[in-house]
Amino acid sequence: MMLIASAFGQLALAHYLLLSGVLFVIGMVGFLSRRNLIVMFLCTELMFQAAAIAFVAVGRYYYDFSGQVFVIFILTVAAAEAALALALVVLLFRRKPTLNAEDWRDLSE
Amino acid sequence: MGGQLGYPGCGPSQAGLSCQSPPSPETPPGLGEAPEQGGGLEALGLTRMDGILPYIECFAALVALYLLLGRGGRGAKALGILGGFAALAWIYVTAGNSIVGGEGVGREVLFLIFGAIAISAAVRMITHSRPVYSAINFVFVVLSSAGLFLLLEAEFMAFALVIVYAGAVLITYMFVLMLAQQASSPDKVTEVPEYDRVAREPAAAVTVGFIFLATIFGAIYQGIPSMPPPAGLIERNVARAEVLQGLPKHLRAAVEESAPTFQWPPELDGNKNMVHADDQGIYVVGTTDAGSHQTVRLPKSAGPRNTQFVGWDLVARFPASLEIAGVILLLAMFGAVILARRQIEHGEDELREAVGLTRIHDWDDDPSATEEGSSA
Repeated sequence: MMLIASAFGQLALAHYLLLSGVLFVIGMVGFLSRRNLIVMFLCTELMFQAAAIAFVAVGRYYYDFSGQVFVIFILTVAAAEAALALALVVLLFRRKPTLNAEDWRDLSE
Repeated sequence: MGGQLGYPGCGPSQAGLSCQSPPSPETPPGLGEAPEQGGGLEALGLTRMDGILPYIECFAALVALYLLLGRGGRGAKALGILGGFAALAWIYVTAGNSIVGGEGVGREVLFLIFGAIAISAAVRMITHSRPVYSAINFVFVVLSSAGLFLLLEAEFMAFALVIVYAGAVLITYMFVLMLAQQASSPDKVTEVPEYDRVAREPAAAVTVGFIFLATIFGAIYQGIPSMPPPAGLIERNVARAEVLQGLPKHLRAAVEESAPTFQWPPELDGNKNMVHADDQGIYVVGTTDAGSHQTVRLPKSAGPRNTQFVGWDLVARFPASLEIAGVILLLAMFGAVILARRQIEHGEDELREAVGLTRIHDWDDDPSATEEGSSA
């Protein structure tokens, strides 16, 4: 109990939220500025990470473990996304050997 | 002080001052840690900042990120690295001066170290020109956020993160990266393609990032008045009692350990609860042989652990989310199989041709298949 009580002793929820925000923005800037398909997917995973940190920190703050349940959900979605997106990337790559997102502009038409 | 933050309770009248948490009756002081020092300015949350300073911080950080992303030469990158560290140090000074130097310094220092590793690895991940190194840097981000989860006492999530993310998802990424890179240029492996070296619209991306980060920083540094206060001791004990209620074997072992003479089963109250909670802890009431009441106060070590909490929430509170997660994984598996199937058939045909058999599939019937067959 002492450990639980002192989890936010000097640290505050705000510090975790700041860190999570910084990580999320780094992932967002990476997603917008990189052109490699796989790196773009990695950046979405980074944003998932940032959201997971915020979930766990807020859940800890309210002593409510549904935040961690949601992180399990995030892990599931991230794993499914990685499997499907990477399968799609491999399919695309076989058709035209490039990972450049701008070479696949015609997909959006 | 335990678990409370200060800034959510902050009203706008305290502008310019550090945010002080009002003495709330439901959070009794002294949960086995340092007593509240005078005012608790350093101990409680962040120092409130109303001015433009948080926005300048965000601006500096994203200018450094722009320099790292941009097309500038070595000089600009070095400037970006220096500026990035300077901005990070500045954020640390404003956000971190309230967290270093307390009584239990361990967690704070670990938080700063893990945060620095996570942020610098994330920046390196989006600025590195080789995707494989980006993936490796992402592993560092995952490991340091697992460390942060340990600091937050989310042990189960920390290990699940390392196993699922660092172990499975990142390996998938690595496989695909290796496949793609090897096939692209077998003779000149060291060549980094142009689309990996040059960022796309870094200025626009950094602008969007600045707006987003400035919003977050502004909200955090000025406090969120509508945010409810954190869970007090009673709420924590009630939550622990609720989970213990669902673990009768665990509860019985804990009761028998602390009171061997206890007459099992304990009495049920009106709501059929065996376990009761107040601000002193959690306790169980039973009847002795003589007919009088007997109360056992359970030690703090008997409470449910993080894994039990998460398991209870997952199965008892949100069973639908567990089912939906299973369905998502199943559908992802179907999708991956369907996406990969065509390639396997195609490869089978090539194998049959190679040993002199006829093809199973006539790809000429399907125009899209022909295109795929010719380019593969």
